Amino acid sequence: MIKIENIIAGYGDGPNILHGINLQASKGEIVTILGPNGCGKSTLLKCIAGFVKPRGGAVVLNDTDVTPVPANEKVRKHRMGYVPQSDNIFPSLTVAENILMGARFLPQATRAVALKRQFVAYPSLADKATRKASALSGGERQLLSLARALVAEPSVLLLDEPSAGLSPAMVHEVFVAIEEIRNSTGMCIVMVEQNAFEALSVADRAYILALGQVALEGCAADLIADPAMRHLYLGGDPEATTSSA
Amino acid sequence: MLQFFVDVILRTVDLALIAVALSCVYSLIRFPNIALVQYATAGALIALGLQTLGLPLYLAIVLSCVITGLMAVVLSVLIFEKLLDTSPPLAMVGSLAVSMIFTAVFLVTVGPRPKRFDLEIMAPVRWAGVSITPMQLVSVGLTMGAILLFALLLFRTGLGRSMRATSTNRVLAEATGIPTRKVINGVIVLSGILAALGGISISLKGEMGAQLGFDLLLPIFAAAILGGLGNALGAALGAFTIALAETFVTNVNFGWVVSQDFYFLPASFATIVSFGLLVLILLFRPHGLLVSEVKRV
Repeated sequence: MIKIENIIAGYGDGPNILHGINLQASKGEIVTILGPNGCGKSTLLKCIAGFVKPRGGAVVLNDTDVTPVPANEKVRKHRMGYVPQSDNIFPSLTVAENILMGARFLPQATRAVALKRQFVAYPSLADKATRKASALSGGERQLLSLARALVAEPSVLLLDEPSAGLSPAMVHEVFVAIEEIRNSTGMCIVMVEQNAFEALSVADRAYILALGQVALEGCAADLIADPAMRHLYLGGDPEATTSSA
Repeated sequence: MLQFFVDVILRTVDLALIAVALSCVYSLIRFPNIALVQYATAGALIALGLQTLGLPLYLAIVLSCVITGLMAVVLSVLIFEKLLDTSPPLAMVGSLAVSMIFTAVFLVTVGPRPKRFDLEIMAPVRWAGVSITPMQLVSVGLTMGAILLFALLLFRTGLGRSMRATSTNRVLAEATGIPTRKVINGVIVLSGILAALGGISISLKGEMGAQLGFDLLLPIFAAAILGGLGNALGAALGAFTIALAETFVTNVNFGWVVSQDFYFLPASFATIVSFGLLVLILLFRPHGLLVSEVKRV
């Protein structure tokens, strides 16, 4: 489970981008973080993952405060999986090698089993196990990046815009895969998305950011129907953003 | 002809290790560290100092490499990382400034006169019209051995794969559990060791002095860029190409051009060749000859 307490963050000497964000995601839950461009949602995910060091607040992962822990250590020691938004595969490696990159800190004897498990979950990747990852389509690349992040069986999965740059058909396929991961593993999944309505259709809960603060939060099904969320995405009366689902 | 080839190899040996070190660091942090050429001088002078203190030469070389490697990472953490956080061009200018400080320190501590290792004088080996000194052979062996070991490390070990993954995509490498910061610091230590070995290798064949690093700066950058800046082994190939061009210009009889029996260009023309090649590379192959290899994990 993930608990974010009053996170304040920014880059370098620049101003704060996040102004005291609180967020929680439990086991077996899909939580999506939405908001317009520049609202700080990717920065928030990078704070959780350990790529951006918060200026204040705490990141708690499975009841352990991991605020200062770098991303690689969260992946190895705190069972976190992370899929970056772009460039999320090693194009010069084969499909199998890419997946095994995510298993490199597991005991040698378990790696083959872990790889096989991912091939069972994603048969389309198994068919192309020995092909260079650069030859995959956009959707297949996204599935590969998911398989790479899942191979070490994390308890928490962070996804940065998993549908970015995909065709509508592929977007649907990727969201189906994400829902399937939650259903089959009971994993806690936190994803940042631009594609709000697709994301809300698979999420249990959502946080909608505006100007580095949580403008709305609540049950995904309720938020889909909330006119305030539409205002946040399409522009409009800022007063609308103060209501809560 | 065979002597020409030997001369090319000897010049390659002068450039290869430092060019590999430069490219290796660039591949990870996109920072062409000018001070690396001074690590070569520092490595040679530290080894000389340790030998003067009574240590056997091989031990002096090993210790000098370790000291230079550690010095490289300390300077990186204390100075270059902070400059890189501001901007890479600023870091490059900073590395030039550090380089100048090194030269001043060398001049103050060892003086302007060239120095030599205390080595037994041995007759050159002559075979098939080729003349080569035993120390030149040692230098070639040392360089080739170091490059071979480096290649094995890069392509046959887990650390090598971590290095290549970090170089290709640092965020993704971190997301796969690779401690990229440790990898980068490790590579910076390695680059210091390679540069020190490069300086020692040159000094074993002849002299060392405060200007050793600066004299190498241009051909080493030309070699690293030619090999595809960031492609460590490409830099070794770049060094061979620069050496080939330099040796060709200074070893070929241009008498036919000036209607004389013999006319050889002075050694200073080698620098012009390095400059010329660098300009041509930047104009026509700015990413080097082997750029695709940079992306190989």
